[in-house]
Amino acid sequence: MTEMMPKERIQRFFNREPVDVMPCFSGMGMVTVQAIEQMGIRFAEVHTSAEHMAHSAITTAELFGFDAVVIPYDMCTVPEALGRGVSLYHDSEEILYPTVPSKWATLDEVEIPTDYLGKGRMPVVDEALRIVKSKGDGKFAVGGWVLGPFTMAGQLIELDVLLKGTRRQKEKVENFLSQMTDLVIKVARHYQNLGVDYMNIREMGSGTDIISPRVWKMFVQENLQKIFSALKSPKILHICGSTDMIIEMMNECGADALSVDQKNNVAETRKKLGDEVLLLGNFDPYGTLVQMDASEVEQVIKTCIDAGVDAVWPGCDIWPDAKKENVETYVRTVRGYGKRPSPAVGRV
Amino acid sequence: MGKEELRNELLKALSDAVVDMDEDKTGELAQKVLDEGLNAYDAVMNGLAAGMEIVGDLYDKHEYFVPELLLCADALYAGLDILKPHIKPEDIGESAKGQVVIGTVQGDVHDIGKNIIKMMFEVAGFTVHDLGRDVPLEKFVEEQMRTDSDIVALSAMMTTTMMGMKKVVQMIKEKNPDVAIMLGGAPVTKDVSELFGADGYADSAGNAVQEAIKMISRLREMQK
Repeated sequence: MTEMMPKERIQRFFNREPVDVMPCFSGMGMVTVQAIEQMGIRFAEVHTSAEHMAHSAITTAELFGFDAVVIPYDMCTVPEALGRGVSLYHDSEEILYPTVPSKWATLDEVEIPTDYLGKGRMPVVDEALRIVKSKGDGKFAVGGWVLGPFTMAGQLIELDVLLKGTRRQKEKVENFLSQMTDLVIKVARHYQNLGVDYMNIREMGSGTDIISPRVWKMFVQENLQKIFSALKSPKILHICGSTDMIIEMMNECGADALSVDQKNNVAETRKKLGDEVLLLGNFDPYGTLVQMDASEVEQVIKTCIDAGVDAVWPGCDIWPDAKKENVETYVRTVRGYGKRPSPAVGRV
Repeated sequence: MGKEELRNELLKALSDAVVDMDEDKTGELAQKVLDEGLNAYDAVMNGLAAGMEIVGDLYDKHEYFVPELLLCADALYAGLDILKPHIKPEDIGESAKGQVVIGTVQGDVHDIGKNIIKMMFEVAGFTVHDLGRDVPLEKFVEEQMRTDSDIVALSAMMTTTMMGMKKVVQMIKEKNPDVAIMLGGAPVTKDVSELFGADGYADSAGNAVQEAIKMISRLREMQK
């Protein structure tokens, strides 16, 4: 059989149909400075221009041979559209992702407007998705993501209010999270309507480094179940940080695939969940692609595959300042070592 | 009840109230310490801070998580607010002169870990200059020089903002090699801390409690 096109490879992958080789992609940010430099722009400029966002995504995929492009880039587009502002760090020499400057101080202040899909940089992201669909579609799969309700809540109100509220203001927190759930569904469906090929829900602020498995069950699980039942496939649940204690509950949320980071013991997870579950992960993108010597990368990627992932995903956004050689080794190792079947996906 | 017996009982009760996240109780007990004429600093260090140390252990053992840590911190503050005005400089000794600059580096708006560390320094009698969150890197250097602080504590929750710390460590050490620098945050490891040239690190809010206590003790040793 001839080599598959990236989009077909990913579609088949999520259907758990045999593929020619392990796909190399992510559900989080994948843009690199090599692409930004090739375009002759600064990282800070990429967040306000649909053209820059789309072109840097496509250029990155072309440079390294990724199977997908992923939009949006930052976690502030929705908070900004809800009126919480955005810090873009235009003047900084560092590579800094935008942040939310003014969160709601209390749960009583929360007021969600109805027309947020057209506010702030939301139209920029929409336009970037349209561009990648028209220019890269077919060649690359297009991935989209939205923060999960608990994480989105933490972007909108002060985190200590949210966390303490899980014990002291249960009803108010539940109501707020319910609003967040509706919001996440609305945004994720919007991106699905714009044609993303897979949707990743990043509930990254809910690992057990932060909340207990009990609180996760009470405040996170049900909302995620509601979200995944409202979305089309393929849909992925990603949680970074400590997930060993909640991985079985994550698997009950209705996602087609689970993504975890380097803190998860994937070999154990595979034993717990069985070979049918699509597992994605789990290398430390910063440590592996920025800090390590390129010669060490191959082993990191092989370790992920040996532990039982179906595709080697970074545990978070690929840090834009990743070393070219390291990213190349990542892709090369996935293609070479990923020729054999993974637990949930066979090979043609 | 003898005075020593009363002291022990109140210290234990203060510690328990912190662990139990009971703000009202720590407030009441702190007032009782004052009413009974007991030493306020002793109550802070061996009651409230001792409780917080247990909380740090519970966090490391996955019995407590961040919400519990925050509520325990609130309980500690309820006691500290009452006791602090009654602490005598001679009780604290040399470290009463201790000053710390603290903040979360630019690009990072997470400040829970930073606030826990800040609390531990306040407990130990330090004057804390809190720069808040999303702080431009030069600001740490300026504030250290302005205040002549002994410690600079930098926090970053995200790997991606952690690199900013390296620059701050270099800038401060160039100007004043004697300043102790403490790094904190989820992505910070022992290797990163050593690579960046820092003097201490904490990778979790629970661990930060212990690390702050260790750093304060080390500083006291140096001042002797």
